[in-house]
Amino acid sequence: MWSRLLAAVALFCLVGAQSSAAQQPLDRPTLLRQLCGEAPEVLAGAQSTAELAATAGEADLDWMQAVLFALVDRRLSCGDDAVTLRLPAGTIVNASTLAPATESASGRTPILNLRSRGVVEPILAALNLLVGKDANVKLEALRAVEKKPQPTLLAIVERALKIERDPQVKGAIQSATETLALRSPDPEKQKIAIRRLSEEPSTRSLTLLLNLRSEPAYNANAGYKAALDGAISSIERWLAFSNVLATIYNGMSLASILFMAAVGLAIIFGLMGVINLAQGELLMIGAYVTFLVQEAFRAVLPGLLDWYLIAAIPIVFTVTATIGMALESSLIRHFYSRPLMSLLATWAVSLFLVNLVRVTFGTQNLQFVVPFYLKGGITVVGDFIITWNRLFAIGFALLTLGGTYYILRRTTLGLNMRAVTLNRTMAGCIGIKTRQIDRLAFALGSGLAGLAGLALCPIYNVNPQMGTLFIIDSFMIVVLGGVGTLVGTLVAAIGVGQINVLIEPAYGAVAAKVIVLLMIILFLQWRPEGLFAVKGRRK
Amino acid sequence: MSAQPSFYSRFAADRFYLWNLVALVGVALALGHAAAGGGLLSEYAINALGQFAAFAILALSLDLIWGYLGILSLGHGLFFAIGGYAIAMHLLKHSYLTTGIVPDFMQFMGWKQFPAYWVWFEHFPYAVAAGLLFAFAIALVFGFVSFRSRVNGVYFAIITQALVYVAMLLMFRNDTGFGGNNGMTGFSVVFGARLGQSSVTALLALAAVVTLIATLIGCRALVISRVGAIMIACRDDETRLRTLGYRTIALKLSIWCLSAVLAAIAGMLYVPLVGIINPRVLSPELSLEIAVWVAIGGRGRLFGAVIGAVTINAVKFLLSARAPELWPFMLSALIVLVALIFPNGLLDLPALRSLIREFVKRPGAGRLTRFKSAS
Amino acid sequence: MNELSRRNVLQTMAGVTAGLAMPAILTRSAKAAGTVKLGCLFSSSGTMANLEGRLNFVAKMAADEINAKGGVLGKTIEIVTADPASDWPLYAQIGRQMLQQEKVAALFGCWTSVSRKSVLPVVEQANGLLFYPLHFEGDENSKNVVYVNSPPASSVIPAVDYLMSSEGVSAKRFFMLGSDYVWPRTINKQLKAYWKSKGIPETAMREEYVPLGFSNFQTLVNQIRKFADEPGGQPVVVLTTVGSSIPDFFREFINQGIKATDVPVLGLDVVEADLEGLDTKPLIGHLTCWAYLQGTKGPANAKFLKDWATYVTSKKVPFKPDVAIDPMVSTYDAINLWALAAAKAGSFDVPEVQKAFAGISFDCPSGYKISMTSENNYVARGVFIGSVNEKQGFDIIWQSKDTPKPVPFSPFG
Repeated sequence: MWSRLLAAVALFCLVGAQSSAAQQPLDRPTLLRQLCGEAPEVLAGAQSTAELAATAGEADLDWMQAVLFALVDRRLSCGDDAVTLRLPAGTIVNASTLAPATESASGRTPILNLRSRGVVEPILAALNLLVGKDANVKLEALRAVEKKPQPTLLAIVERALKIERDPQVKGAIQSATETLALRSPDPEKQKIAIRRLSEEPSTRSLTLLLNLRSEPAYNANAGYKAALDGAISSIERWLAFSNVLATIYNGMSLASILFMAAVGLAIIFGLMGVINLAQGELLMIGAYVTFLVQEAFRAVLPGLLDWYLIAAIPIVFTVTATIGMALESSLIRHFYSRPLMSLLATWAVSLFLVNLVRVTFGTQNLQFVVPFYLKGGITVVGDFIITWNRLFAIGFALLTLGGTYYILRRTTLGLNMRAVTLNRTMAGCIGIKTRQIDRLAFALGSGLAGLAGLALCPIYNVNPQMGTLFIIDSFMIVVLGGVGTLVGTLVAAIGVGQINVLIEPAYGAVAAKVIVLLMIILFLQWRPEGLFAVKGRRK
Repeated sequence: MSAQPSFYSRFAADRFYLWNLVALVGVALALGHAAAGGGLLSEYAINALGQFAAFAILALSLDLIWGYLGILSLGHGLFFAIGGYAIAMHLLKHSYLTTGIVPDFMQFMGWKQFPAYWVWFEHFPYAVAAGLLFAFAIALVFGFVSFRSRVNGVYFAIITQALVYVAMLLMFRNDTGFGGNNGMTGFSVVFGARLGQSSVTALLALAAVVTLIATLIGCRALVISRVGAIMIACRDDETRLRTLGYRTIALKLSIWCLSAVLAAIAGMLYVPLVGIINPRVLSPELSLEIAVWVAIGGRGRLFGAVIGAVTINAVKFLLSARAPELWPFMLSALIVLVALIFPNGLLDLPALRSLIREFVKRPGAGRLTRFKSAS
Repeated sequence: MNELSRRNVLQTMAGVTAGLAMPAILTRSAKAAGTVKLGCLFSSSGTMANLEGRLNFVAKMAADEINAKGGVLGKTIEIVTADPASDWPLYAQIGRQMLQQEKVAALFGCWTSVSRKSVLPVVEQANGLLFYPLHFEGDENSKNVVYVNSPPASSVIPAVDYLMSSEGVSAKRFFMLGSDYVWPRTINKQLKAYWKSKGIPETAMREEYVPLGFSNFQTLVNQIRKFADEPGGQPVVVLTTVGSSIPDFFREFINQGIKATDVPVLGLDVVEADLEGLDTKPLIGHLTCWAYLQGTKGPANAKFLKDWATYVTSKKVPFKPDVAIDPMVSTYDAINLWALAAAKAGSFDVPEVQKAFAGISFDCPSGYKISMTSENNYVARGVFIGSVNEKQGFDIIWQSKDTPKPVPFSPFG
C-alpha cells in the first residue's frame, strides 16, 4: 500500500518535472502584487493563475496553491516592502520564495469580496486537484470545480486527468469532464453529459438539462431529444422521491425533538397527575450543564473537546434528576391533591429558574463547539440532505425511547411505577412505597428533560428563555398521546411532527403550528383520554 | 323549607365586601373629581387606576369560574383580547374617519381599504356588541364541547392554555388583518375627543372603576343567590350534584360564558387607557398571571381577586421601573408562598394567625402546615 | 367568609388602601439637586434581552463620560433604566412612567419597530423625546422621535445595489425571509418596488415570513436551496429575521452546506452579537449593512472600543468586552447628541432642545461626522457594507464616501 503510494507520488513528480522543464518561470512578484490589489486586480491575478496552471511546472503549481489558499484563508499579509504568508502550521514565510521571513509592519490582509471569492475558490479547488496530496482532498476539489464550471478550469481538469494515477480519482475526473462537456458543440458528447447528469439527480442538474431544450439539436436530432427527455423525466422522478424522503426526515427530526421534550413530562404527568410547568426550564438547565461540561473539557482535556457532548450525558442526567428530586420533595409533593395549584406553583419555579440563570449567565446565546461528528451533512439522493446534528437528535431520541422503555418494562422500579399509575391506593396496599416511587419518577422525568436539553444544544440557541418554547407543544403531545403511555407519546410526537412538516411548505410555519394545535384541541374534545388511554381509574 | 333571610340582608352580611365597596366608590369619586378638572391625582395615577380597575374586572371574571365553580381557565387572556381588539378596531376606524390617517398595518401591508370584517366598526355600539357576542360565541362553542365531554380540571386548564397560544400565533400573522405583531396603536380620537387629554383619561378610568363596581355588585348578587349555592355545590362535588338531577353542563356553560363576556368588557376598558393592543395579551404567561392574581388575593371571595389584581400590578409597575431584576423573583416567591401556606390567598388572616400561633407554640417544629383549600 | 371580625376588616382595609395608594406613592417625583435624568427603554429579559440589554450599559458609559467632563449645563446626568421584558405594551407603560413620574428629560430606547410604535403615542401625548438607535423601515417622521440610525433609502438600498452590481454578485433573484412584523414587511415592500423599477420580474422574488422567535428553519432552508438551483441567474437571500432567529437560520444554512459563494445572505439585522455562538468559518462572505461596523479604522473608534472594554471589565457588565455593534454606537451617539443639543439650547425643556437639533454634529466612532438639520429629526450617518469573517465579526468591503442625506419617506412602495 505504502509502496504503491510512494510510487505514485514519484511518478507524479516525474511527470511534473518533465512538463515544467518546457516552461518559463512564473512572474511571482507581479502576481502577488495583483492579489494584494483592489478587487479587479485580484480577479485578473486569479484568472492568470488559472490559465498558467494548465501548463505550469510542479514547483509553481505548489506555490500557486499555497498563495491562493492563504488568500482565501486570510493568511496573506501584504506589506509595502514584502508580501508574507502564514503557513497553516503557523510559520511565516516570504510569499514569493516561501523561505522563512518576518511579517512586514505595514502588512495588511486583503479581503476577498463575494465576486472574487466566487472566482478564486474554484481555481484553488482546481489547483488542489492537481497538487492535492490525498484522494479525498482531490475528490472534494473536483466537486467544487464541477459546481462552478469555468471555461479556464477545463484545461486544468484535463491536465489532472492526464497525470492522475489513483484509479478512483481518475474515474471521477473522467466522468466530471464528461459532465462538463454539456456545453460542447458535439451532440454526442452532450448526450454522454446528459446521461451523467441524470445519474446525479438534483434541481441543479434539472435546471441545466431544461436549458438544453432550446438547443437546435433538440428539435433536429431525435436521439438527442429522446436522451434529454428521458434524462429530465428520470431526474424529476428521483426528485419527487427525494422530496418525499426529505419531508419524512424533516418530520422525524421535528418529532424527535418533540418526543424528547415530552417524554419526561409524560412520565411525571402520567404517574402523578401533576403538571410540571417547569419542565422546559429543566431542559434549559440540561443545556447549560452541557455547556459547563464543555467548558470543563476546554480547561482540563482540550484534546478530547469534541467528545464533551457524549461525556455530558450522565452528568446532565444526574444533575437535572437531582434538581427534580429536590423539587419534588420540597414543593411538588404538597400538591398531589391539588393539581390546579401545582400549575401555579411549578410556573413560579419556572419563572424563578429562568431568572436565576439569566442573572448568573446573562441572556446571550451560549457558544457551543460543534464536534466534528455533527458538522455539515451528506447528500443522499437528489435534494435530500441528511444533516448530522439532526440525525444525532433522532438517534438520541431513539436511545431515550429505548432506555425509558427498558426502565418502565424491565426493572422493578418500572413495574412499581406502572402499578402506581394504574391504581395508587391499591399499589400502596400491596406494599409499594408510593412516596418513594413518586420521587424517583419525578427524578427520571426531570433527567429526561435535561437530556432533551443536551440533544438540542447542536440544533437550537441555548439561552434562558429556550425552555418556554417547548412547554405547550410537549403538553399537547402528552395529552394527545394519552396520559401515562410511552407509545402514545411516541405516536403523537411522530404524528404531530410529520403533519407539521407536511403543512409547512404550503401554508407557512405559523399556519402549520396553528392547524396542528387546533386539530389536537378538537381531537381532545372528542376523545379527552387521548390516542392511547391507559385502562385505569379516571382521575 | 325554612324562611330564608331577605336578599338585602344576605347581601349586606359580608362587612368585608361592603367596606371595600365603599372604598371603591371613594376612588370613583376621586376620579370624577379629576375628570371635572381637579388636580388631586396625577395623570399617571389616574391612568394606572383605570388599568387596575380593568385588571380587577378580568380577575373577577376568572374568580367567578375558578373560585365558585372550580374550573381553572389558563386562557382568559383570549376573551380579554377579543374585547380589546374589538374596541381597538372601533378606535382605529373612528380615528381614521376623523383624521384621515391610514392605520400603520394597512400602510405596510399595502392595503388601500379596511378588510371586509371591519365594516361598521366605526359605530361604537356595534363594536361593543360584536366584541361581546364574539367572546360569548367562542366561549359557548368551546365550553359546550368541553363540558359535554367532561373535560375538566388540569385538562381544561391545559387546553385553554393551548387555545390562547393558538390565538396568539394567529394574531401574530399580519395577513389576518388585525395588525399582526404590531397590533393596533395610534388611536387619536375617542368619541370625538382627543385621547391623551387628562380629562379624557380620567373619564376612561372612571368608566373602568364604575364598571368594576357594577360588576362587583352583580357578581355578589349572583353568588348569594340560589344559583350561587348550586355553583359552590358543583365545585365541591359535581358528580353528586349531577346524580341529584341538576344539569351541571348548563350551569357551568352559562357561568363560563358570563365570565368570558366579563373578561371581554375588561379588555374594552383596558385598551383605550394603554393605547395599544397586540398579540402579547394572548401570551400564555399573561393568562397564567391572571390566575396568580386571583390565587394571591384569594379565590371565591370576589374582593380577593380585585385586591390580588390591584396589588400585584401596582408592585409590578413600581418594580419594573425601579428594580426590574427583583420582580420575577418576588412574584415566584409570592406564588410559592400562597400555594404552600395560604391556599386561600394572602388575605386569609385566620390562616396567618393560626400559623403564627403554631409557630410561637412550637418554634422548633418549623413545619409548614397546609390549610384546607377549595380545590 | 362571612364571619370576619371587625379587626380583620380593618386589617384588610389597610391592605386595600395600600394597594390603591400605590400609584400615589409612585407620584413622588424624586428630583435630586444637580442631576438631570435620562430614561432607557431597553429590555433585559425576554427575546430581545441579548441585544437590547447591552445598550443600557452603553448609555451609562456615555453619561459617565459626559459627567466626567462636567456634565451638561452644570448638572450631572443620571441614567434611569427599566426592564420592559420584550413586551411591547410594557414599553409604552414604562415610557409613560418615566416621562410623567421620573420626569426624565429624554428617553433612549426600543429595538424593534413594534416597540417604537407602541411608545410613539406616549411621547407624542406627553411631548417627550425618544432617541431611537436602530436602523428601521422609515416612513415615519414624528417631531418627538430622533431617528439616530438610517432609514432604508440610505442603508438597505446601497447594500442591495452592491449585490446587484458586477462588483458584488450580479444578483438577479431574491429570496426575502423575514420575521412577521412591520420592519421586514415594510423593507420588503420597498425592495420589491425598487426591484420592479430595475426591471426585475415578480417571478424572481420570493417572500416568506416566520413568527418572532421562530427557530426551526429546516424546511425554509430546503426551499432556499431549491430556489437557488432554479434557473434565472444569481440568487441572494435578503434576511430580515430578528433576535434569536438569526443564529438559528445561519446554523441550518451551514449544516445544509450552502456557502456564501452559492447563495449570499444579506442580513439586514445581523450584528456581531448574533454570530457569537456560531462557527463563522462556513459563513464567510455573507453580508450586512450598518452605519457602524466594529472593524472601522480611526481614532474615534479605537477610543470607543477601548472605553467599552474598560467599562465592561471594571463594572462587571455581563456582555463581551470586545464586541461593539451599531446600535451600541448609535445609543452612544444619541446621548451625546442630546447633550450637545441641550447645551446649545441652554435648557432641558423638550421644545428648546428640539429647536437646537438643527446644525449640531458629533464625531461618531464610525469615523463620520454625523449631523442633524432643521428639516427633520433624522441623523445623517455613513453607510458600511460588511462581510462575515472567520472571527465572528465583519470585514468592511464597502463604505460610503460621506454621510448621505437621510430620506425619511421611501420613494419606493
